Amino acid sequence: MVPSQDEWSLTAELARLELDEGEAVRLASEAERMKELFLTMSQANVEGLEPTTHAFAGDNRVRPDSAVSFDNTDRFLDAAPEAEDEFILIPNVL
Amino acid sequence: MQSTAELWSALTADSEKFAQYVQALRDIDGRVGSFLSFSPQVVSSQKTGSLSGIPVGVKDNIAVEGQPLTCGSRILENLISPYSATAIQRLVAEGALMVGKTNLDEFGMGSSCENSALGNTSNPWNLDYVAGGSSGGSAAAVAAGLVPLALGSDTGGSVRQPASFCGVYGLKPTYGSISRSGLTAYASSLEVIGPMARDLQLLKESFRVMAGLDSMDQSGTAGSCSSDQTNGTIAVLELDEGVLDAPVAEAYRQAIDALEALGHPIKRVSLQSLNLIVPAYYTIATAEASANLARFNGIRYGMAPTFAENPAELMRKARHEGFGDEVKLRILLGTYVLRSGFQDQYYGQAQKVRTLIRQELAAIYQDASAILMPVFPTQAFKKGEGGMDEYRQKTADVFTCLANLAGLPALAIPTGLSGGLPLGMQLMAPAFGEERLFALAKELEKTFPLETPEGALDIGSLQ
Repeated sequence: MVPSQDEWSLTAELARLELDEGEAVRLASEAERMKELFLTMSQANVEGLEPTTHAFAGDNRVRPDSAVSFDNTDRFLDAAPEAEDEFILIPNVL
Repeated sequence: MQSTAELWSALTADSEKFAQYVQALRDIDGRVGSFLSFSPQVVSSQKTGSLSGIPVGVKDNIAVEGQPLTCGSRILENLISPYSATAIQRLVAEGALMVGKTNLDEFGMGSSCENSALGNTSNPWNLDYVAGGSSGGSAAAVAAGLVPLALGSDTGGSVRQPASFCGVYGLKPTYGSISRSGLTAYASSLEVIGPMARDLQLLKESFRVMAGLDSMDQSGTAGSCSSDQTNGTIAVLELDEGVLDAPVAEAYRQAIDALEALGHPIKRVSLQSLNLIVPAYYTIATAEASANLARFNGIRYGMAPTFAENPAELMRKARHEGFGDEVKLRILLGTYVLRSGFQDQYYGQAQKVRTLIRQELAAIYQDASAILMPVFPTQAFKKGEGGMDEYRQKTADVFTCLANLAGLPALAIPTGLSGGLPLGMQLMAPAFGEERLFALAKELEKTFPLETPEGALDIGSLQ
């Protein structure tokens, strides 16, 4: 495995992505190409500029901190792959 | 003469005609493939309002209560939405009918609709060509006359590019002007829900209905655009020879001439940061995607593997089996640029480049009312192997993702045909300048009348 592929495999692990061998090779090559494109930004003169995180960042607008009950919780639970009573089931943690 | 809205409203109020419409839609869509699911029974819930009886196609990454919400992905193939997006609730309150969910590139990631795991959409003008993406199903449905109005979402051009490929109007509103609540998140700081239509008045009305602050979306914005002090000057982006395909370059010249003939002073401008747009956009979009798509892990909703030893294995398996290649690639890239030690080099730099781009655009708007530019360097391309590769598709997003980086409104306007396929240009206004865009589109309507593809549904022919 070439070093760049190792790097992408580690990234896949961090992203909770399982890649089979074909995918790993194919995606690493496409990701490298995009990374090269990203690196062209290093030529930009951005000295003294603040980063833009939101196009029109203003004050935070927040809802009042109060409890609100949903009347359709059953529907949300119905969407779970596996549920029992009011609980979503997952495999054993330990 | 009856307006488009009145014609459709009369159609959906007449049960016999509506049944004929449903049949005709199914026949045509058997070829075009714009819908992933179609729920015509909603006619019984017709309400009075400014959109009363208007059937709407909804991109399948926007939640409509009781309808599928697949995002074009295997991982959500069987998900039924438990609630409706705020934009949908507002349209329904005005009497609009949500008749079905339209195809898209998986999670909105693509420019052709070919990245959908669940459907195959063709361009109604030529079925061998793509409808564009990611909101290709919505654009194709409107172009084929199946619905007068459809919703897409625009993260980097996903409303405007397919609108241009299919020859319909497509609006990317000002960031935050329409609530994102109920829009499946891909790149939260860039995306916005946008309408597509063949009728400008309907496009405008749907935007008016959907816009406005919402307590469910804290990133929402509201404001107004100051009055134009430039005598209607249109800035025109100067581009190097060869950047555009010949028919698009010619259409660009024609659009400039048309605006000049309508009395708009033309000002030629260049963007120093043009080559930085695509890398900055894809750095930010993939970074945000990697975080937003972490929620798809086979636990609370969506597909889960039949067996997993532990929660970590369950997540890995669900994501392995559920996501397609392009989604995996973007998650991979986004995770990479956010990794410890790389953040400043990539994500931080991209956000500063974003500031640079916004400053450059603000300077242009000092002397111009709007900026005219192409939507995409090419017309619709061929489906499959003979088409455009994924990397070229990404670099071709340069003109569309500019508006997303700056949060500005932009409208794709059909400007005729070449070789039997539509051409389109876009106008981009300062923040909250949607009205300015609608007015300019109205002015151009006579120069570039809308064309209709052969085989499109004509509701006037239904008896």
